Amino acid sequence: MKDIGPIFRSLLRNKLGVILIALQIALTLAIVTNAAFIISERSADIARPSGLDESNTAMFITNLFDSNVDQRQLYRDDLEAIRAIPGVLAAAPTQSMPISGSGWGEDLYSNPEMQSNESVNFGKFMVDEHGLEAFDLELVAGRNFTPDEMVTRSFEAMELPKVLIVSQALADSLFPDGDALNKTVWDEPNGEQPMQIIGIYDHMQNAWPTSENVNRTALTPEISLFGGQMMYVVRAEPGQLDQVMQATEAYLSKNRSRIVEIVRSYPEQKSRTYSRDIAMVKLLSGVIVILTGVTGLGIIGLAWFSVTQRRKQIGTRRALGATRGDIVRYFMVENWLITSAGLAVGLVGAVGLNWFLDTQYEVGRVPLWYLPVGMAALWLLGQLAVLLPARRAANIPPALATRSV
Amino acid sequence: MFSYYIRLALTSIRRTPVLSALMVLALGLGIGAFMTTFTVYYLMSGDPIPHKSDVLYAVQLDNWDPNDDPTESASDVQPQLTYQDGQHLMNADTPAIRQVHMYGSDMVVVPEGDDPPFNENVRATYQTFFSMFDVPFIYGSPWDKRADDDHASVIVIGRKLNDRLFNGENSVGKSIQLNDGFYQITGVIDDWQPTPRFYHVDAGRRFSDSEQIFLPFTRAIDLVLGPNGNTNCWAPLDDSLPVIEAFLKSECVWTQFWAELETPEQAAAYKDYLDNYVRDQKQIGRFQRPLNTFISNVREWLVVNRVVTNDNRVLVRLSFLFLLVCVLNTVGLLMAKFLGKSGEVAVRRAMGASRQAVFIQNLVEVATIGVAGGVAGIGLAWLGLKGIENLYRGYQHLVHLDPVMLATAVCLAVISAILAGLYPVWRVSRQAPAGLLKAL
Repeated sequence: MKDIGPIFRSLLRNKLGVILIALQIALTLAIVTNAAFIISERSADIARPSGLDESNTAMFITNLFDSNVDQRQLYRDDLEAIRAIPGVLAAAPTQSMPISGSGWGEDLYSNPEMQSNESVNFGKFMVDEHGLEAFDLELVAGRNFTPDEMVTRSFEAMELPKVLIVSQALADSLFPDGDALNKTVWDEPNGEQPMQIIGIYDHMQNAWPTSENVNRTALTPEISLFGGQMMYVVRAEPGQLDQVMQATEAYLSKNRSRIVEIVRSYPEQKSRTYSRDIAMVKLLSGVIVILTGVTGLGIIGLAWFSVTQRRKQIGTRRALGATRGDIVRYFMVENWLITSAGLAVGLVGAVGLNWFLDTQYEVGRVPLWYLPVGMAALWLLGQLAVLLPARRAANIPPALATRSV
Repeated sequence: MFSYYIRLALTSIRRTPVLSALMVLALGLGIGAFMTTFTVYYLMSGDPIPHKSDVLYAVQLDNWDPNDDPTESASDVQPQLTYQDGQHLMNADTPAIRQVHMYGSDMVVVPEGDDPPFNENVRATYQTFFSMFDVPFIYGSPWDKRADDDHASVIVIGRKLNDRLFNGENSVGKSIQLNDGFYQITGVIDDWQPTPRFYHVDAGRRFSDSEQIFLPFTRAIDLVLGPNGNTNCWAPLDDSLPVIEAFLKSECVWTQFWAELETPEQAAAYKDYLDNYVRDQKQIGRFQRPLNTFISNVREWLVVNRVVTNDNRVLVRLSFLFLLVCVLNTVGLLMAKFLGKSGEVAVRRAMGASRQAVFIQNLVEVATIGVAGGVAGIGLAWLGLKGIENLYRGYQHLVHLDPVMLATAVCLAVISAILAGLYPVWRVSRQAPAGLLKAL
């Protein structure tokens, strides 16, 4: 470490070059820590479990355009036919899929005196007694629907469900004491539309992945006949999804009074839903890779040139007894000094940039441990980048000192 | 002289190929990344209807739950209206030149013959829509006002649908089957794709295709054609009424409402009209929140609905910093390069070249690298935009390199390169020749 003094003094003679690299390092640290933080936030969002048997589940949306067809009967026929398809584990009617962006939200009141701003918002899935299995939900308490609890909503008759099965998260929001099972809740204020909680399942997300209450969901035993749109969720035996999707689509298309609008596996739906987040992750990953590449190449380029310029000086040092290791060490220490200066500025830059991005665009606060990790990575990057020019410098023969004098 | 400088620049660049390639690469990457994100930002924040954006106003009335959080700005108010409020305004004698009340839906097109039926997006609207939003017709015209009043089964279709059903021939007067009814075509519109689709900015559909079928709103209501966009309700439906009637009389918001207001006075008068309407409604027990009506012209409307997302802004800021790193990188490399050229410069100075001549000559070299970086940047931006198109759904109409952006890229590249090169070039041209010559 006795070299630091002379190295430091020689750096002072080339202030601009040092400032340029240090600034680059500083900006790189600021960008990389913030980008890495955003990537990890988005990846965590995407990785949240929906509650479904994701890789074995698909959704089907059809549009019935002939108003003479008995839609209620068509539901029965469809479900019977789909359940008979080999490889189908469960199938249920539904009017929405978790995180699909399109769904039905309602409010529940845990007592009749509650005001509307005290009610609990949740995502509603209208299914039949096969809903639990099709969505791969596990009952943690209570029971499933029975067929005679099914009701039908239509323009002609608005039957309302008398029972519902709620997610653990919804149960906890409604009844924090943990005694939600068999309690009565109301779908409207002032004690209107009572329903009984007959079961609690583990977990399912609602239709809107960015909503605060994404885990508050409930199943109700009902079929809605508004408009011609009909939707099914089908869960296949492991590995059978492709065949099941083909067979189901073939069956649904046979009926010429409707069109099959959407046949989509759940993984496909998920990548659509999160396309913006996936895009952000990919773009920012690209930025990190390219940025570190550019910074690394910049360090190599400058060090290379400085070696070229100092050929005679290096040759002289070698002639005076400096080993190859001494020469390599010189450039490594020089780079370490510059990088450290850059990182010191970069720390302020990273925190400042995060403060700006958070107050302006709500990206959230970078946890502090990102900073030492980022710094370590850039120290390493600098040392690796300078290694190549440093080894070239070490190969300068001592005899050079004696030439062209 | 200039061509001689360019020759010199090329020779010099060839002499240090790796360093020059590094500079072009760094500039190209920086510019490519920044241009990609900035193009998306620029196109997103673009004016979808420049010649009328200041006279078209979206209408918002705050009919929401009195227990909800207070309204601070137009962004806190529902972007859509109830059916009853929209219909009242549509039929009233307001200060607006034209108004339109509408919603999006979909229907199944059943072609004649053996072609399979298919789904199309439908806009249930009034004939004023076409003149308000300046929709170009290739055949025929909008339906007339009587058709709106008579709930007529008439439609206007888009060019794509006309191509598909009639091979692009004039189909005015013909009828097509939608769901289980027949509708007579009064007009065919040209490709018309406002970007963003400002007239209905439901999240997720902001950059989607505009509709291929337009149908009188009054007829769509008769058909009980449900909206396929967002429907938001806060109050229970009146269960003493049949479902449809209860829905139409409810506080659910699901329709879009626009007014054309030519002068600020007209806009002020229209706002007063809305305020008075809400005050009247308060008398009968509706609108129990403080008085909050908003009219926003197209540009304001895009801001109210946050069409440019925070993600876009974050990416633009980060890629700008990235460009800054690339420029710093280039400055460093140029410093190194020009200091290495000191000897050559000294010889040129000693042989009579003025400082100015040396300065300009080296600047030409820097600018050459800048242009090369700019070209590389445009190529990378093009690739980047292709990537964006694949990454994001529904950006197909949005993502393209338009001439303004291309010119910006080239300017940006040359300016970046010259800024990066100015100091190194100045340094090298200030060097006294004598000292260096001795050292040679």
